[in-house]
Amino acid sequence: MARPVLAVRHLSVDFRTLRGRVHALRDVSLEVPPNKIVGVLGESGCGKSTLINAVTGLLANNAEITRGEVIFEQADLAKLSERELLKVRGEKISMVFQDPMTAQNPVISVGRQMTDTLYRHRKLSAGEKRKLATGMFRKVGISDPEERMDQFPHEFSGGMRQRISIAMALMMNPDLFIADEPTTALDVTMEAQFIHLLRELQADIGCAVLFISHNLGLIAELCDEVVVMYAGEVVEKGPLAEIFFNPCHHYTRRLIECDPSRVLDRSAVLPTIPGRLPNLTRLPAGCIFRSRCGHAIAECATKSPPLLAVSETHSVACFNHASLIERPAGGRAPRLKSNASENPVLEVDGVHVRYPTGGLIRRLLRPDAPRHMDAVIDVGLKVAEGQTFGLAGESGSGKSSLGRAIMGLTPAKDGSIRFKGDEIRGLPPREFKRYRRAMAMMFQDPVASLSPRQKVRRLVMEPFEIHGADGRDLNREAENLFQMVGLSREFFDRYAHELSGGQARRVGVARALALRPALIIADEPTAGLDVSVQGEILNLLRELQRELGLTYIVISHNLPVLRHVSDRVGIMYLGRIVEQGPTDRIFSRPAHPYTRALLDGIPRPDPSMRRKLESIEGEIPSITNRPPGCEFHPRCPIASDLCRAVPPAATELNQDHVVHCHNPLQGA
Amino acid sequence: MLNYALQRIGLAIVIVFLVVFALFVMIHFIPGDPVAIALGPRATPEIEARFVAKMRLDEPLYMQFFAFLGGVLQGDLGNDIFSERPVLTILFEALPYTVILATAAMAWSAALGIFLGCFSAARPNSLIDRITGVVSIGTITVPSFVVSIYMLIVFAVFLKWLPVIGAGEPGNFWDQARHLILPAFAVGLGWVGYVARMVRASMLEVIGENHIRAARSFGLPHRVVVYRYALKVAILPTITLLGIGFGNLLSGAVFAEIIFSRPGIGKLIFDMVMTRNFPVVQGGVLVTAILYVATTLTADLLAAAMDPRIRKSL
Repeated sequence: MARPVLAVRHLSVDFRTLRGRVHALRDVSLEVPPNKIVGVLGESGCGKSTLINAVTGLLANNAEITRGEVIFEQADLAKLSERELLKVRGEKISMVFQDPMTAQNPVISVGRQMTDTLYRHRKLSAGEKRKLATGMFRKVGISDPEERMDQFPHEFSGGMRQRISIAMALMMNPDLFIADEPTTALDVTMEAQFIHLLRELQADIGCAVLFISHNLGLIAELCDEVVVMYAGEVVEKGPLAEIFFNPCHHYTRRLIECDPSRVLDRSAVLPTIPGRLPNLTRLPAGCIFRSRCGHAIAECATKSPPLLAVSETHSVACFNHASLIERPAGGRAPRLKSNASENPVLEVDGVHVRYPTGGLIRRLLRPDAPRHMDAVIDVGLKVAEGQTFGLAGESGSGKSSLGRAIMGLTPAKDGSIRFKGDEIRGLPPREFKRYRRAMAMMFQDPVASLSPRQKVRRLVMEPFEIHGADGRDLNREAENLFQMVGLSREFFDRYAHELSGGQARRVGVARALALRPALIIADEPTAGLDVSVQGEILNLLRELQRELGLTYIVISHNLPVLRHVSDRVGIMYLGRIVEQGPTDRIFSRPAHPYTRALLDGIPRPDPSMRRKLESIEGEIPSITNRPPGCEFHPRCPIASDLCRAVPPAATELNQDHVVHCHNPLQGA
Repeated sequence: MLNYALQRIGLAIVIVFLVVFALFVMIHFIPGDPVAIALGPRATPEIEARFVAKMRLDEPLYMQFFAFLGGVLQGDLGNDIFSERPVLTILFEALPYTVILATAAMAWSAALGIFLGCFSAARPNSLIDRITGVVSIGTITVPSFVVSIYMLIVFAVFLKWLPVIGAGEPGNFWDQARHLILPAFAVGLGWVGYVARMVRASMLEVIGENHIRAARSFGLPHRVVVYRYALKVAILPTITLLGIGFGNLLSGAVFAEIIFSRPGIGKLIFDMVMTRNFPVVQGGVLVTAILYVATTLTADLLAAAMDPRIRKSL
């Protein structure tokens, strides 16, 4: 085998904190061979970021490499001085980060930022540097690179900004390219384009890639080899197919099982990994995964398992992995039955949401500029009691605006919104309040939507402060709610920042449940959660639905999640629901090309099902500049002249399956 | 941008108008008979009658206000009671001294403050950072008139390095510059601390942002990352602070001008209050207020113009 580009050997990193030393990485070894894509798979807190920072010499000041080495081109990066490291960073190793919206300096033009990375090349003139930069821009698929070079980052969309990040990182033809969750903040169609671009560029430049992700699908889609990390240790590594088809560590196996796109039976309870990450300040004796494992043997409690080879290329850190090879007879996953009825709880018909743009002076200066933008256009949907309606679409498609309009948080311009038969659109706040308590919202960012200065008990009881307790015993209510969402009493006195992502979600669920609503609108209920925790929240939501007869509207861009929880799904594009119908039908036989593209964009957690092509081209247009005719036609692979001129009307394909398309796909 | 600029300018005009109104009300409600206050007990009824007519004190209040407002709009702020010279001329003689003092004070304190702020933000919690922090708090808390007096005693009286009082010989640049050093130092000192603390805080925030990590990952040297990439973002809130600070310096200059006996607008107002020369006081306060509004406005517009996100979208 060729000498690896990067070899991390027995690396251990500690952080000195006020609460003691955090042993963030322990004895981590991995290799990145030339021209290969190595994926590092792990959930939050597994030490992925510390690993990258240690490799690039960007560790925080309180970090200390206690052991091990990072060999890159025969030099140990861990021992290089800052000056020597500068020559390696950017020149030979470069990176792309998670959030494209904050990865570039907002007040320096992108072209300047690109050419700045070449500052060490004094021989090049400014013109030559600029030429290199424009060439790179063209390579990553940015049109009109000459003009766009002088623009500032905020003038690009998220997908474009991630392309710029790649362009900057590849300016110097690095030998090693590190991508840290590069698509987590992107929509599926953008993600698919990004992965496609990355694969193409990697083949073109021939660099080695270290790809960090928590997304199994992406790893399966892109990588050649996989390293699985848990709580600062490498628990398993090997070729992609080995890891996916023959996972030996219990953690790897459970992680793969957790992925909702693998659980095809929608009534099944999603598998989860109970328990939490151990405290890395005081490490438990023995195996780090023991408390959550369920297959521990006596040895696991005393000794830390070393990474041992199971085959020539595949190794695992587990004493009891042999038991995996003969899998336990697949006991059927427990099922949840839904008890949906036919009584509609919510009927929405022809609803518009319109936001004004610009103020008085702007209107005086530019009388012809549009005065408003339509976030939601002519939307109709119906949700029966005990049912879940899933709203899907890329960011900016109007999902959240529609949710807010139903809740009365944003006025709907016209149409009708009926709640249990009563018209609630445009009610004055005093009269709306009555309906308000029967509806609750779970907000997108669980931690940010909780006040940082109040204790959790107070936060959960807040709805009673607003709507009155009606003589209920608040102490009992609080205990009840906490029990329902699976939080113990010790959480009463905590603050929002002391909660993990999953716990904060549970608090959000408890707040939504407080007033015993009939309808809950959940906006991205699992965004930002690890797969193992995502399952817990989804199971909780469904259990509560069954027990309390709740009706849900779940808003998400995560289609596997929607498929799992929804009875009906609506796909939104530029403010319209372009297709809606029963979940199984939409997912198995989509009629709208956009739905099809979204479904094709989901990375499959199965290396044997890699996609060959980009699923869809272009980006979602601005809602202030809508294309004529069918608004999807500029991105549609089968658009005809009719589509470019005439907006399609609703076509009912089958009972309950409605699509807005001139040429619905065959088989639907 | 144009939209935003028009909005801010409109607001500034409204504020100036309110200042004119408040000023009129304040002067009018100073207790006592304005005639007796202005002319003193020994004035004859004839002189008093002439004064009343000249100052239009016999007209109804609203007429007096409109007359005052009309005068202000035409640049007529009345005449000095004693010398009969137009107030505007007197103010314009004094104004340059104050503006130069405030500008010099702001320039050195902002430059040093921004440097100290960046310097400590680049090495948070180091010894240098702590020392800068303590010194900053020190300069913020010491009143500028105390500094002025000690500076005078040490540098002008004992060491005799610098002149004691006055603004220097008109037309002689070096002499004027030598006279500027002590007051500019005394007035600006407090701002060094403010600016340093402010820049440090916003620098620390920016340095924690993703794009700085990205810039470092591209191998840009520390110096470029801190002084070009981070400072350009972190300086934006500081500019607004400096705008307000410049206005404050104009009023902070009063002490320095009195102590160092510089013929600036602060000393002028002080002297005129002592001699009850109200038209000059009124004019002086008005001009100071307008300057204050103008500098704040400039800073707001500058901050907007320096931030491409605001520049394009407004």
